[in-house]
Amino acid sequence: MFRNYLKVAWRNLIRNKSFSVLNIVGLSIGLTVFTLIVLWINFELGFDRFHENQERIYEVNNQYAIEGEIWTWNSTPKAMAPAIKKDYPEVDWVSRYYYDTPFLFSVDEKRIKATGTIVDPDFLHIFSFPLVQGNIESVLSDVNSVVITETFAKKIFGDKDPIGELVKIDNADSFKVTGVLKDLPDNTDFTFEFLVPWDYLIQKDWDDNNWGNNSVATYVKLKENVDFNNFSANIKTLRKNYDKDSPDMETLLYPFSRTYLYSEFENGKEIGGRIELIRMFGFIAAIILLIACINFMNLSTARSEKRAKEVGVRKVMGAPKKYLIYQFLGESMLISSIAALLAFVIILLVLPSFSNLVGKELSIDFTSKAFWLSAIGIILFTGMLAGSYPALYLSAFKPSAVLKGTFHKANTLITPRKVLVVVQFSVAIILITATLIITQQLEKVQDRQLGYAKDNLIYTFIEGDIEKNYGALREELLKSGAATSVTKTSSPITESWSNTWGIEWEGKKENDKTIILRLMADDAVVKTLGLELLEGRDIDLQKYPTDSTAVILNETSVALMGFEDPIGEIVNDNGKKWHVIGVVKDFVFNSPFQKIEPLVIEGAKGWFNVVHMKLNEANTTANNLATIERVYKNYNPEYPFNYDFVDGEYAKKFSDQQITSKLAGLFTLLTILISCLGLFGLASYMAENRIKEVGIRKVLGASVGTIVTLLSKDFLKLVGISILIAIPVSWYYMSNWLEDFAFRITISWWVFVIAGVLTLVIALVTVSFQAVKAARANPVKSLRTE
Amino acid sequence: MLLQLRNIFKWVQLGGQRIFLLKDINLEVQEGEFISIMGPSGSGKSTLLNVIGMLDTFDEGEYDFLNESVHSLKEKYRSNLYKEYIGFVFQSYHLLDDLTVEENLEMPLLYKKIKSSERKALVADMLDRFSIVGKKDLFPTQLSGGQQQLVGVARALIGKPKLILADEPTGNLNSQQSEEIMQLFKKLNKEEGVTIIQVTHSEKNAAYGSRIINLLDGRKI
Repeated sequence: MFRNYLKVAWRNLIRNKSFSVLNIVGLSIGLTVFTLIVLWINFELGFDRFHENQERIYEVNNQYAIEGEIWTWNSTPKAMAPAIKKDYPEVDWVSRYYYDTPFLFSVDEKRIKATGTIVDPDFLHIFSFPLVQGNIESVLSDVNSVVITETFAKKIFGDKDPIGELVKIDNADSFKVTGVLKDLPDNTDFTFEFLVPWDYLIQKDWDDNNWGNNSVATYVKLKENVDFNNFSANIKTLRKNYDKDSPDMETLLYPFSRTYLYSEFENGKEIGGRIELIRMFGFIAAIILLIACINFMNLSTARSEKRAKEVGVRKVMGAPKKYLIYQFLGESMLISSIAALLAFVIILLVLPSFSNLVGKELSIDFTSKAFWLSAIGIILFTGMLAGSYPALYLSAFKPSAVLKGTFHKANTLITPRKVLVVVQFSVAIILITATLIITQQLEKVQDRQLGYAKDNLIYTFIEGDIEKNYGALREELLKSGAATSVTKTSSPITESWSNTWGIEWEGKKENDKTIILRLMADDAVVKTLGLELLEGRDIDLQKYPTDSTAVILNETSVALMGFEDPIGEIVNDNGKKWHVIGVVKDFVFNSPFQKIEPLVIEGAKGWFNVVHMKLNEANTTANNLATIERVYKNYNPEYPFNYDFVDGEYAKKFSDQQITSKLAGLFTLLTILISCLGLFGLASYMAENRIKEVGIRKVLGASVGTIVTLLSKDFLKLVGISILIAIPVSWYYMSNWLEDFAFRITISWWVFVIAGVLTLVIALVTVSFQAVKAARANPVKSLRTE
Repeated sequence: MLLQLRNIFKWVQLGGQRIFLLKDINLEVQEGEFISIMGPSGSGKSTLLNVIGMLDTFDEGEYDFLNESVHSLKEKYRSNLYKEYIGFVFQSYHLLDDLTVEENLEMPLLYKKIKSSERKALVADMLDRFSIVGKKDLFPTQLSGGQQQLVGVARALIGKPKLILADEPTGNLNSQQSEEIMQLFKKLNKEEGVTIIQVTHSEKNAAYGSRIINLLDGRKI
């Protein structure tokens, strides 16, 4: 019996090649997209979820009401961890995590720069980063011990056993390798190549007990069986005993497992984060698979007349209805299996490019039972979903009707099929408008006036001897003609590293805790960065030595501080008095998607991490860089010369949105393609079924044009309904999406016009291809066959 | 007695009016009979045949088949009944184009839960009896009309039915092919005692039967 079904199914596939191809290709595109998205989602959901007892791991956050709004952030004072350790016995392990910092490693003549961080010894107890060599209890107990990853060990020591080897870090301190870590997996947010104990920070005098300096991450792992609700209520008031300035600031434990996907807070409430993107694409995956299945249903039922006779004969021969249902379901299973096979091949081919697109290293684990189970599950599910309607529809035919030859559906477009087409095209239109709006928004932000000149601007980090030799270095850079202007700053112009609500000025309202961004710049900042000066002048230490305590404000902070004539006003920050010498036009410092925040640029009395250089446009960039490298080598010989282009760094701010936009575009295209495959098939069957009608009309004098209109009209009506459904839905969702950006486009009506017209044209082309073919057929032929 | 129809009515409702397809049909069929149903187009011949074959329902009256009351049987039992006892032959053969001759013959057996080896034997037997062994791997479209109908008759017979219902079995055939099929029916009826009811337009074919029923506008005349 089974063999018989298989035979019939297979022969049916072969006999109706175009139908089979439409079905299989449509379904396999759907399956491919679905699988790719699911792989990606699976990867994202598994991010940092491999830590043992992860439900006991928490990130320490702060929460504070500022200006009536609750703010939540995850950087903590350095003194937080010891306080927790001392006061809260419920905590098993606690570790700080200094920022990821590049350090220079040297062994003999070898110099390698690596990114790593400083942690407490508990760190390896909290997170599951297993040691290949070394004892977890002691690897970080000595001040000058360092733990490195396998790959990094190989890079620096080759095949030599790294344990016990000495390395010099930052050309200053000697460290002994005490442990080797297994390389970090792809799916973790941590990126360190080495770990150094916190004691080193104390030794370097980088530690501080300032509760106002929230700059490191703190992680805790609770003891087993600690009641979290009790404990979190308990630890909330931690700062009361320590923080004199903000004793009311709340200490909050945030589950570490949620940090990657959620961790976006608004007014003290978790509002999502990356998970929203994942949900959105998960939804799209399901929709595309559904559309592919809808195609299958539509094409199968449209072909029902061809199968009607078979149903009739089988029923007369005694086939019970359920056998016929099994048969048709089996056929759709066969098709879905073939489609799955094809999809599998496509997935293997495109997985590398897709990984590239989403920026994640995705892979399929063929050894996992879960993979094979879900693969079979998907095949069964798709086969079931796609085959259910045709199976029920076909198996319900009455043999006496179909065998008599009186069985004819006058119009191929019966209601359920109409609904399915409308669903397909609504989704397609929604996706088209979404893509258009996302692209527009991205373009608008990319075209945003930055307020500084990002071209030919590079920066380097201050490391090694640069601090010491800065004066001479700068002098020589300018003399060499490679740079036209050089400025030391506290952070790259693309990243804001420091902010405060502690700045005071005359007339500041009490309790005003508006956060102001800080940038420090020693000299000629307006010139180097290409800022637009609105009032006053640039910092010029040569001419005005007092400019070491000068400050330049941006427009927003002038407005905040309410200065009528800002020049000469005094602002207090960090116990120093800064005098305002200039006002610059607002420029984008943080996210180009958000509104501009108040900012102060403080002079040479600040602290510095970065050197910005404006390259001389008269020379080629390569020449400039070569000259600068030579100068750097002179003043900082131990370090390799590394630099970043500001425009390149700025472009990275768009990577997430660009991925969204690219994926949306891709999925839109595929949705349209799948929908058109379906429509094409449907139109061809419709044309075939109405061939007699067309013949009669032609004999009676209808022109090709009127017949094409006649045949296409029904479909276009459906597309019209889809447009009406899609526009409000898409408008609603895209308005919501845009809400996330302070700097955003307003949705214009023509987006919907374009999407509607585009869909209509595509549908028209698809349908009329068949309609024209039918209309041009010789009526004598078609009438004779009846 | 094989079957009995008593006061069978069948109608359709058309614009508030009842159009009768069958009107007060009474019919008794004994085992071993060969009956021809005749009448002009639209007189209800095929409808009557479908009612007898249980493919169609009726609106009023009683129908006994082998002492079972068909009119009070559930759909499932009805289909078991005709699966067991009735074979159908159609004007346009209605072979499945996707199956070979051999597979077409095997198909009804699949629904009777007969074991594979037994099916093979039955099919081989039938191929042999109709001298179409050489054509067993051909598809219906590769056969002439007469040969297709031969397969159709063989398929109807393979389940060893008591009754064969043939709806204009020769309607699509030329006179020589017609002759062959009718001879075959006659032989089956005479030698194996299979009861046959056929619908036909042709006086000549009707003459093969032992009894002729004439219909006009759904009524026996």
